[in-house]
Amino acid sequence: MTMLALQAKDLVVGARIDGEMVPAIRALSFDLEPGKILGLVGESGAGKSMVGRAIAQLLPAGFAITSGSLLFEGEDLVRMAPGARRALLGRAIAFIPQAPMTSLNPVRTIGAQFDEHLARLGERSRGARRDRAVAMLAAARLPRAAELLTQYPHQLSGGMCQRVLIAMAFSSNPRLVIADEPTTALDVTMHPPILALIADMQRQHGTAVIFITHDLRLAAQLCDQVTVMYAGRAVESGPARAVLSTPAHPYTRCLQLANPSLRAERRALYVMPDQMPSLRQLKNLSGCHFAPRCPLAAEECRRGEPPDTAVAAHHHVACIRAAATRTIAAVAGDSVAAKASERPLLQVEGLQKHYDVGGALFAGARNVAAVKQATFSIAANEFVALVGESGSGKSTIAKMLVGLEQPSAGKILLDGEDLTEPSRRRRARNAASLQMVFQDPQSALNPRRRVASIVTQAMEAGSRHASWDERLARTGELLAEVGLSTDFAARLPGQLSGGQRQRINIARALCTLPKILVADEIVSGLDVSIQAQLLNLLARLRAELGFAMLFISHDLSVVRHLCSRVLVMYGGEIVEAGAVEKVFADPQHAHTRALLSSVPPDEPEAAWPPLQGSAN
Amino acid sequence: MASALSRSLRSPRVLIALGMIFCIGFCAAFAGWIAPHDPGDQNLLAILQPPAWADGGDLTYPLGTDSLGRCVLSRLIFGARTAMLVALFASLGAMIIGTILAHISGYFGGAVDWLIGRLVDVWMSFPPVILSLILMVGLGVGLSKVILAVVLVDWTRFCRVLRSEVLIVTRHDYVAAARLLGFSHWQTIVREVLPATMPLLITLISLEMAIAVVVEAILSFIGLGVGPNTPAWGQMIADARQYVYQSPWNLLLPIFAIFLTVTAFNLLGDGLRRTLDVRLAETGR
Repeated sequence: MTMLALQAKDLVVGARIDGEMVPAIRALSFDLEPGKILGLVGESGAGKSMVGRAIAQLLPAGFAITSGSLLFEGEDLVRMAPGARRALLGRAIAFIPQAPMTSLNPVRTIGAQFDEHLARLGERSRGARRDRAVAMLAAARLPRAAELLTQYPHQLSGGMCQRVLIAMAFSSNPRLVIADEPTTALDVTMHPPILALIADMQRQHGTAVIFITHDLRLAAQLCDQVTVMYAGRAVESGPARAVLSTPAHPYTRCLQLANPSLRAERRALYVMPDQMPSLRQLKNLSGCHFAPRCPLAAEECRRGEPPDTAVAAHHHVACIRAAATRTIAAVAGDSVAAKASERPLLQVEGLQKHYDVGGALFAGARNVAAVKQATFSIAANEFVALVGESGSGKSTIAKMLVGLEQPSAGKILLDGEDLTEPSRRRRARNAASLQMVFQDPQSALNPRRRVASIVTQAMEAGSRHASWDERLARTGELLAEVGLSTDFAARLPGQLSGGQRQRINIARALCTLPKILVADEIVSGLDVSIQAQLLNLLARLRAELGFAMLFISHDLSVVRHLCSRVLVMYGGEIVEAGAVEKVFADPQHAHTRALLSSVPPDEPEAAWPPLQGSAN
Repeated sequence: MASALSRSLRSPRVLIALGMIFCIGFCAAFAGWIAPHDPGDQNLLAILQPPAWADGGDLTYPLGTDSLGRCVLSRLIFGARTAMLVALFASLGAMIIGTILAHISGYFGGAVDWLIGRLVDVWMSFPPVILSLILMVGLGVGLSKVILAVVLVDWTRFCRVLRSEVLIVTRHDYVAAARLLGFSHWQTIVREVLPATMPLLITLISLEMAIAVVVEAILSFIGLGVGPNTPAWGQMIADARQYVYQSPWNLLLPIFAIFLTVTAFNLLGDGLRRTLDVRLAETGR
């Protein structure tokens, strides 16, 4: 038997909470063979990134490995002398970071940073270092590698930075690479090529990889083994395809059902109630940690932690009711409204936005077009998606629609009335008929206002003076609509979770019962189970309140789930528009095709072209 | 805000500073009752008397008398009134002008921001003491003139520091959201931006009070301050300067009073900054 690249044995990472040690990772064990990819899958707070940090011994303050071992080729990283461990890290064990732009030093050239890295690896000759850097960058499929060495990180795109970091990580011929969400910070169209590159490099160098991700479908395509984590515990582990095609743990199954599909029949999303327990809540939780959200939970689940049992060869699950997992199913039904009305509610004609960039005292300003040309319409009660990668002008259109930016040219007609004329009356009208839900709920909620004051903020605008009783009554209605109890009225935004904040964000926009909501990436920062809650909420609110929505997103499976029509933006122009089913089935523009191929297939057995292509 | 205030009231720095300021403020407010003598009364039979504890001292004048035979303790107490009045009104005045301009500048940006920014640049390029001297020459002496001079010199400090804070706050989506909900610019600034800049504002006021005390002392020292008939610490230092060898106490006592007051305000400002600034409070200093 060959020696394992990495073996975790009952690893426990504790966090100090109120003077008590709470396990953030509980009894984690896995075996990683050389040249294989292990996927650690879970939502935020599951403890998956903590594993990578434990290997690097870079745990955040207050966290510590309390017991267990991490054997790298038979040697325990936990008990190793710091000097010996340092000799391994960055050489035999390399890392690919989550945020490529901030992982490179902005004031030094790529060449200088690569050279420094190679010098640390022990390469004496400057010329040999340069040749090796060029060779590695070329292997990472970066064009004009030699030229790249003289450039600074800000001159490269995020995807190119990540390629540079991957080239650096593999330049030491590491035997283990830890990739922590390496594509999350990048545009969706960059995901397939970066993943293909990691898979390629891994194959060429025979490296073992720990791939940390929140995307189950992606893990199934890329990894050999998958470990699904929930609240610090590995709830299911096994061969990647087996785990996805026959999930044994209810959480894995629920997660799968909560993710909208890009290709399969449209169905309602399965919604897990609540959210993952925080470390503070874990302290007082006994029994199976998933039990409070589990559809199969029985009395005995709350009594003790379930043991690890094998459901098939190498396929383990920590659940006593695993046999019933198959029975969990989402309610059938279509979340897209049957038929929107024909009459256009909002018409946008030839909308343009130019910015003057630069323009110092004596230098002439450069005129840059953020939106070159946009013409579209939205009917009453219709959900229209606006998709495209960052910088394509999506957000600029949103801002012009609600009046945060003035268009350089073009018309915005709401019910036939032009909204581009700035006037006091128009703003008041706007507030009642067009509202925006912001992307980042952290920044969109005033941390000093209580929830009741935030959601009814529209009632204190202008010269209106609603009494506090009226506002509290409206708060009750709005909170009920977004599925929160009235206890939330007195809370501050800092006391809410991300999903709850986004609900408040939506409730505020609904206060004046607008006809159109503009939603800018409102589910993109959220976990799959929270995203499913919000998508179902939006579908229900549309049926109840009958508003239309411009839904800005980069996630095509979410778009397909919620919207009937789609507009694809590329370089400031709408390059493709039409019914979602039609556009997705037969994409005309290259960018639409790129966006579509960035979503991995639902079935683990299905081939995903981006990874297949690289095998040759 | 309420929690931040209660947190700051538990900070030892803030408590000590508030205690010191309360004592000085009490002297200033009830100077007429506390002071043993009228600050202008002369006793030419007892000039340059040392304090009561020194040789030749006398309990009638606990801190001795100056070169004109006036009670030093009484003059110190009445000087506190001058210092506190200047500190309070000058910092409030500078705060009002600076805060309004900072919010307009940071919130609207563009040409308005440029104009106000350049005005502050030009204003700040004058040495502050010289500028206040020129102003005093133009305005004439008197308590209200001193306050006006400090306001006109120091509003820039508020304006520049607050503007950058306003810029940061304005970039938050909740400010844009308020506009979309129909808030006017004025409402948005007062209800969304100002509460967020308030902690910094409070800190700046207490630091500005310390500066105002020093400026008032300087102006009074050179005789361009509150006028000869109003007792002021700077004036006492100027008077005592000529008799420093005969009676060093006359010089040291007003200096000590200024030192105490300025320390108290700086301590308060530092304590408030540590407890009110969310960023500092979160990182556990």
